[in-house]
Amino acid sequence: MASTRKSPMFASSVSRQLLIGRIFTYAALCVAVLLVLFPIYWMVITSLKLPREIYRVPSLWPQVVTFNNYRILIEDKEFFLNIRNSLIVAGSVTVISVIISSLCAYSLVRFRYRFQGLVGRLILFAYLTPTTLLFIPLSILMARLGLGNSLHGLILVYLTFSLPLSTWLLQGYFRGVPRELEEQGMIDGLSRMGALIRIVIPLSAPGIAAVAIFTFTGAWNELLLALVLITSESQRTAPLALNYLITSDVLPWGPLMAGAVLSSVPLMILYFVAQRYMVQGMTAGSVKG
Amino acid sequence: MTATPAADIPTVRPAAPHPRRRFSAATQDAIFAYGLVLPVVLLLIGLVGYPFFYAIYVSFTDRVVGNDGQWIGLANFRYLAGAPAFSSAIWNTVVLVVVTGLLKLAIGLGLALLVNQHLPGRGLFRSFLMLPWAMPAFVAYLTWRVMFQPIGGGINLVLTNTGLYPHIVDWLGQRSTAMPSVILAAVWRGFPFWFVSILAALQTIPNELYEAARVDGATAWQRFRNVTWPGIRQVVIITTLLSSIWTANSFEHVWLLTQGGPSDATMVFPVLAYFGMQTQRLGEAAAVSVAMLPVLMILVFVATSMMQNREDRD
Repeated sequence: MASTRKSPMFASSVSRQLLIGRIFTYAALCVAVLLVLFPIYWMVITSLKLPREIYRVPSLWPQVVTFNNYRILIEDKEFFLNIRNSLIVAGSVTVISVIISSLCAYSLVRFRYRFQGLVGRLILFAYLTPTTLLFIPLSILMARLGLGNSLHGLILVYLTFSLPLSTWLLQGYFRGVPRELEEQGMIDGLSRMGALIRIVIPLSAPGIAAVAIFTFTGAWNELLLALVLITSESQRTAPLALNYLITSDVLPWGPLMAGAVLSSVPLMILYFVAQRYMVQGMTAGSVKG
Repeated sequence: MTATPAADIPTVRPAAPHPRRRFSAATQDAIFAYGLVLPVVLLLIGLVGYPFFYAIYVSFTDRVVGNDGQWIGLANFRYLAGAPAFSSAIWNTVVLVVVTGLLKLAIGLGLALLVNQHLPGRGLFRSFLMLPWAMPAFVAYLTWRVMFQPIGGGINLVLTNTGLYPHIVDWLGQRSTAMPSVILAAVWRGFPFWFVSILAALQTIPNELYEAARVDGATAWQRFRNVTWPGIRQVVIITTLLSSIWTANSFEHVWLLTQGGPSDATMVFPVLAYFGMQTQRLGEAAAVSVAMLPVLMILVFVATSMMQNREDRD
């Protein structure tokens, strides 16, 4: 029969097409990965190069590997002080946000009441209201409260973006906890609050971890509000310290890239490890990087 | 909180055996529900709502640092309309939003379609392609600042070493290349968000639909048009809205790469507002951010209702 004679030829042309498609796919993906990795590679090797190698004889890999840039950054610029400030601010913002956002998200998911839709809308609206609009009034407000140039003030203003984000994301996770489990717990003698703490929160633990990481990185990365609010050197966060490195007259690329490595590598490792949860959270709530 | 189990009451408070009878269970739940949202709502009213309207008010005054100023009506906006930096900022913001949006869509969609095939190693590719998103924005833009340098920058080195373009270019320092450089860095940092969002949407499309289309003899384009696109359309629209809002209001990329220079070639709203604040003229600075509010509010309203609808449906 014609069709049976034809089919092997047809199959081989299909498989060749498939093979060509595969090769094209892998080639395109490899090029994309290279383009993604090259700046990261450049950041790392610039941080390991001697000044003469950065400025006079540029090359794709360092001839001499030196940790001098790190020493300059840490000893002369006291970068660990900035890291410490960043840790305090981002850590506090995360703890405060996750706790009070959990309460809010739980209420929005479990109860039906007046103004509920309004509260939900207010939260989304706050999430999308850009810092660019708020930084001027916030700086006036913080000065009036006596919280200008302090880490406390910074923690307070960072809640403007962390609270809406974490409430919005946590609602999604809490909705996934079956109501029956909670009701069962309450029959067994738990209060509402007890049901939240003993049942809902443990079951949403991966989600809460993801929210905590998003909140932490959001606060860790913030530059504009810190630039506006912090005036003294001792209160500078990591992004702020690096920002002032490039606004000085001499541009110290080596120490700058050392600072870039130190402030990003921990976060990138965190993302690689917790990637699955991060992607779920990111696509569920559309999270800005 | 008011919701301790009723069994505890006699031992804890023997003097008042029925303190909770004042409210029915439903009322108790309502009080509890309101109590839980209260901290977030109060903080957001104080830290977002009040500053939001205060910014609008300040934009109509001649406030400077140390002097509250007076109501001067539209004078700030009239002044801005005549300022060359302001018209540059409008144009550059539009260019940045549109061009980076289109590029991120094309790259994100293309890579998502490639990774969505059943290939060995796709998880690894996905992890690597997400890296720019995991990098803090300030680190990404500082790195690109170094990459673009005439001396010590990676781009010039690669171009001269491979012979593609054997001249040293000061990418960020001249008007013609500054904006394309900012766009390149913003796309590098921003495409993973599109890539991951679209990929997640692609993975929800059932395979049977593709098989059915193939059986019906649909071409690749027809399959994309009739199966793939309907499955990802909503995600693409929401991503476009969010990304436009964020790009238009993003400060770091331009600030860390060019500070709006050379001679306003890359000036955008947020950087202009920050400069206004640095010169202590708060009224004018606020007017810069408020000037973009009408367009922004439309985007925010559409995005909010779409996100809320999607959530209600889930």
